[in-house]
Amino acid sequence: MILKGLTWLVLLQLLGSVVNLLLVPALPGPIIGMVLLFGLLLVRRGIPESLEKTAALLLQYLPLLLIVPAAGIMTSGDALLADLPAIAAGLVLSLLITVPFCGWLMQVLIRRMDRRQEDKA
Amino acid sequence: MTHLDIATVWAMTLDHPLFSVALTLIAFQLALALYRRSGWLVLQPVMVGMLLVVGTLYLCGMDYASYRDSASMIAVLVGPATVALAIPLYRHLRRIQQLFWPILVTLVIGGVLSVVLTLVISGALGADLSVLMSLSPKAATMPIAMLVAEQIGGLASLAAVFVMLTGVIGTAMGPFLLRLAGVDHPAARGLSYGINAHAIGTARALEEGDECGAFAALGMSLLGILIALFLPLAFG
Repeated sequence: MILKGLTWLVLLQLLGSVVNLLLVPALPGPIIGMVLLFGLLLVRRGIPESLEKTAALLLQYLPLLLIVPAAGIMTSGDALLADLPAIAAGLVLSLLITVPFCGWLMQVLIRRMDRRQEDKA
Repeated sequence: MTHLDIATVWAMTLDHPLFSVALTLIAFQLALALYRRSGWLVLQPVMVGMLLVVGTLYLCGMDYASYRDSASMIAVLVGPATVALAIPLYRHLRRIQQLFWPILVTLVIGGVLSVVLTLVISGALGADLSVLMSLSPKAATMPIAMLVAEQIGGLASLAAVFVMLTGVIGTAMGPFLLRLAGVDHPAARGLSYGINAHAIGTARALEEGDECGAFAALGMSLLGILIALFLPLAFG
């Protein structure tokens, strides 16, 4: 079961990198693979059990898989430390604005949609 | 009777490809145990595991390139796992269809605002171009942010650190900021958590309730797709 799902994911990623090499060099192969899988699921109107199980397993252990590339910070720690004040300011200030803004905007839009539906009814 | 001394055996053990694999597996499980026992969102397993790996490599005098080469049998699965992100996204399809326009408008405006603000503020304070390119996908989930950062000339490992910082800071400030703005609709709160603090914010949103959590997961996966598709086309 797991192997069947994994085979699909690997094949889709490979297909994604073929598309990346031939057609859209701007998008990384796995991302094209994800879009392809989403399209397949839309056409199939459902998630096959084998894919569901493999995806649950892989996504559960995603933090483990990501430790390897994240440890690359060993080689780029200097860049991080050199720009630390600029990075910290950029992260914190942008969050101070976008967190309340996104929530507020979504709330306004939902209420407007609700009102319209009430008007229709 | 052995003809090898301890130092040679130690050096050969470090050279064994499974040394890096074992190190990663142990570091992850220690980090996961610490995260679960403490219950602190700040102690993200990737962050703690990464620090354990980096610390051990320093102590053993091993460089990152040889670690990455032998741990590649773990890292190679990041690609298929990224493809698998389409599955949670598909599960949210019904909700997306119900509130399609509010979600899309908030995601696009919020996503653009988040990228632009971060780049303008950090750029104005003199951050390096490669740092800026690693900062710009910070609102996406980690595998996507790392891929996109590399694609547009940033560093995957820096992007991973920024994703974690964004998640932790956004989740810490979120409840206060949302109350300040008078946002009490669970879908709106959830979407904001998902857009601004991805997985860590989604964990917090689930504590507030099911609807809040579902919209956080939705915001996180949709914004990930938008960032993956549009940032490389904008900067590539």
